[in-house]
Amino acid sequence: MPQEVEKYRKPTRILHWVHMVSFCLLFLTGLVLFIPGLGIIAQDSWTRVIHRIAAAIFIIAPLIYIPLNLKATAKGIKEAFSWGIEDIGWLKAAPRYYFLGDESDMPPQGAMNTGQKLWWLIVLVSSVVFTITGLIMWFAKTTASPAVLQWMVFLHDIAFIGASSMLLLHIYLGVIHPTMTEAWKAIYKGTVSVGYAKKHHAKWYEEVTRRKEVKS
Amino acid sequence: MAEKAILYDATRCTACRGCQAACKQWNENDELIPTEENGVKAANRGSYENPPDLSPRTWVKMEFRETDAGGAVRWLFSRRACMHCTEAACVKVCPSGALYHHELGFVAYDKDICTGCGYCIDACPFNVPRSDRNLITGIAKMDKCTFCTTPGLDRIAQGWEPACVKTCPPKALQYGDRNQLIAEGKKRVESLIARGWANANLYGEKELGGLHVMYVLDDHPAVYGLPVDPQISAATIAWQDVIQPVGWVVGGLTILGLGLNYLVARASANSDKEKKNAARS
Ligand code: HEM
Ligand code: SF4
Ligand code: SF4
Repeated sequence: MPQEVEKYRKPTRILHWVHMVSFCLLFLTGLVLFIPGLGIIAQDSWTRVIHRIAAAIFIIAPLIYIPLNLKATAKGIKEAFSWGIEDIGWLKAAPRYYFLGDESDMPPQGAMNTGQKLWWLIVLVSSVVFTITGLIMWFAKTTASPAVLQWMVFLHDIAFIGASSMLLLHIYLGVIHPTMTEAWKAIYKGTVSVGYAKKHHAKWYEEVTRRKEVKS
Repeated sequence: MAEKAILYDATRCTACRGCQAACKQWNENDELIPTEENGVKAANRGSYENPPDLSPRTWVKMEFRETDAGGAVRWLFSRRACMHCTEAACVKVCPSGALYHHELGFVAYDKDICTGCGYCIDACPFNVPRSDRNLITGIAKMDKCTFCTTPGLDRIAQGWEPACVKTCPPKALQYGDRNQLIAEGKKRVESLIARGWANANLYGEKELGGLHVMYVLDDHPAVYGLPVDPQISAATIAWQDVIQPVGWVVGGLTILGLGLNYLVARASANSDKEKKNAARS
């Protein structure tokens, strides 16, 4: 068996999947309101009820995760906001890498590469926007002024367009892209092979091997 | 087909509220009389207005206003209901098509396919649509005046006038071709002006592309509580005319880009493999 390194701990993986499923439900039940031709599916409010159930899960899941995993949360949030010179290198090299598989210009990456960091940042920011605007549309529907409620839909939609198009990219890279062979395994089983780690997250691999022994 | 409309003449209206009762009766929007047996508490709101507001079961309502015209009190009556706008904000935001323009111009409504989102409620410049809403589940259904075109209760398709018009004793409400009613309304405004009502005007001819409920007024619309120059809100426009198309473009480009990437990346991955295989053999 080739050597494996742990990429994502179990609580992190559970949070990922709970969030992924609720996000997809929110996406689909939101989409039927966003696309006028599909609105007829939403008749009698049933998709809107699912939107609320999924929203509750979407909001509560991280609220359970955070106090139980304070260190991981702090590290994750710090990571989303630490940007450096390598990120510019990544952005420059990304098109050749993702289209042609040419990694010669790709600087070594940490646990999250620039693209993953960007997505993570979008997840953080859009979740906050979704939650605030969504809760207002949900619970202040009869009390807030019409103008406020309308602008909340507008902001909700901006988050929707940004986060959903990036979600497509995220799923595509994780599951479909020909060279991302083990990203799926990392978030499903939690580990990647040493070879994949060295190749895709060299900086991170160096760190973990320095810190602890590789489990085999 | 020629557009139809309702003309309401506030100077003829006696505020008998026959229209309110006829609307409820025809559209089966029963209301309980406030008695102890019915469990409904009577309330004195210091006004003849009753019920206090439009509701899912009250689609038209008479309003009473007292104004001070140079020391003399005037008691003004006006009609509150859907104005059936040509540029209807509610139709613009309705995601299901439950609200739509009838071929005769006014705004009809198919309650069955309403999603209960309540977007129309916040978009309407006249604050007309109403819904009963469960604030936890979000389940709701909107209601408003349908110009007597509610399926199964469609008077217009029968060639009849709306129930409110039919019942109006002083003929303050009229139903007919919109163009004819505009001409009729203008004539009355002229005669009002000739009789000394300098501010008399016809409300609804041009507002929001033309309303299908027009008012003959002997004073400025604001005196009757009507919005002067009503507009579709900036938020409605930013949402429907800007962010909706942006959504289409971003979504389309993303899917296109990913498809393109897949084709190119797979081709180059395959050619890499071939090169490796060739080098090995
Ligand atoms: C985080 C918690 C969220 C809450 C509380 C929430 C709540 C709401 C509410 C109340 C509405 C208004 C319609 C209605 O009353 O049913 C709505 C609409 C919508 N939501 Fe959410 N939502 C959340 C997250 C999301 C997410 C993650 C997405 C997409 C990925 C999303 C996509 C949409 C869309 C597309 C609409 C329709 C907007 C339109 O009609 O233009 N929502 N949401
Ligand atoms: S008055 Fe309001 S509900 Fe009636 S058509 Fe105009 S926007 Fe729609
Ligand atoms: S509440 Fe019903 S009628 Fe109003 S916009 Fe939503 S789906 Fe359309």
